[in-house]
Amino acid sequence: MSPVRLGFSTAFLFLVFAIQESVISRVHLPITGFSLYLAVLICLIALEDRNGAVVMGFIGGLVLDLSPTSQSPFGQWALIFTIIGYLISSNLESVGDFTSEPISFVVFIAAGSALALTSYLFAGLLLGENIGSLSRTLIVIAGNFIWTMVFTPFFLPLIRKAREATLTSKERM
Amino acid sequence: MARGGSNRSRLLLVILLVSSLLLITLDLRGVGVTSGSRNATQVILSPIQKAASDIFAPVGRFMSDVKNFGKTKAQIAELKLANAKLKQEAAFSSDTKGQLAQLKSVLDLAGRGGFKTVSARVIGRGSSSTFSQTITLDAGTGSGIRKNMTVISENGLVGVVKDSTINSSIVLLMSDPTFRIGVRVARTQSVGVLMGEGGGSYTLELLDPAGTMQVGDSLISIGSDNNRPYIPGLPVGAITKVDHTTTSLTQRATVKSFANLNDLGVVSVVLAAPTTAPSKPINPTPRATITVLVTPTPTPSVSGSPTPTAAPSKVKK
Repeated sequence: MSPVRLGFSTAFLFLVFAIQESVISRVHLPITGFSLYLAVLICLIALEDRNGAVVMGFIGGLVLDLSPTSQSPFGQWALIFTIIGYLISSNLESVGDFTSEPISFVVFIAAGSALALTSYLFAGLLLGENIGSLSRTLIVIAGNFIWTMVFTPFFLPLIRKAREATLTSKERM
Repeated sequence: MARGGSNRSRLLLVILLVSSLLLITLDLRGVGVTSGSRNATQVILSPIQKAASDIFAPVGRFMSDVKNFGKTKAQIAELKLANAKLKQEAAFSSDTKGQLAQLKSVLDLAGRGGFKTVSARVIGRGSSSTFSQTITLDAGTGSGIRKNMTVISENGLVGVVKDSTINSSIVLLMSDPTFRIGVRVARTQSVGVLMGEGGGSYTLELLDPAGTMQVGDSLISIGSDNNRPYIPGLPVGAITKVDHTTTSLTQRATVKSFANLNDLGVVSVVLAAPTTAPSKPINPTPRATITVLVTPTPTPSVSGSPTPTAAPSKVKK
């Protein structure tokens, strides 16, 4: 991943983060809210190679750590997404690339978001945070999974195009 | 080659993991850089949130109207207002009765009104990815809002200011799992702790094992030292279910808050409780007393001896 693309990707992630914090979080959806940011980040991680996925996970996690409403320690999301980036990239190498199959990719993104939230909660438990009732937590994760499945097909082509626009000529080849 | 690439990947992974752990450690140790970065983000985001709030508020209202179908918006708002007033009155009424019964009515009257408040619009809500129940207000330290100030709505307690920048504040809602507040059952004056559950219901744990409570009992905030973070006497919620089957020593109940945290448009931050509140024992003002000093004056008698007659000579207040 070139430094220029890293810069573009960070700026893009911050833009999505601003949309998430300003617009998406204001929308009252049934069950629970939807995290556009998590879906976009999982999508970008899945489209990268191993090193790119780890770096993208770390940067994306850091941006999410900047959330003023977050009560978790700064760096918790960076830790989670670095691990998730590594896991996704290694599994994609062994399982095979299915990012060109839309339905499989959407399910993968939704599952990845659920995994990220679960890991975040687990890390929070290890750090002694209060995560509330289990039923409520499960509802939030399940709700986010459903909404990610519903909304991802609408913005997935846009994310792909935005990513392709930041690729250098060498990376395109 | 492949082995070399794999090693580089692992090295990169280790470096990034160590960096993350370092950041977590720094944050947990209270290094200001991390909290400063979140404050800076809030300063950057708050104008965007304000703009988004202005743009999307009509859309939100439209969606709300669609959701409510045939119901008239104005009628709903009117009924909500009337209901809120009635709830407040009922809470205050039963609270006052309980207090009178225990001769504690002078305490917590500060929370009955007359607070110095500043109103603010809700311009953002906590993201679902952070699991935190928060709202963002469009007023901050520039309006006098500081950390640990009580936030109220028309129906009662909403939360507490968690952080504030020059032009925005983040409020931890009472539904957050980390939220705790000392409350009193208005009818019986039993004291307990109310805890957020992350959703619409709350758990009340009575501190007194012999205390009593029943469904419908109103809960009033006890208050904190110097009224921060909580001012006393605020309506908090009502008991919806009492758990009789609990095996723990303390009694538990499920509570529903008076304030609807999903429908917050404008809230008030309590800057100061009234200084004239009867939170301290009132010393009675001494009444004016009149002292009459009588000096016997001799009056001439038949025999020529003086007869004493009363004549005020001095009045002292």
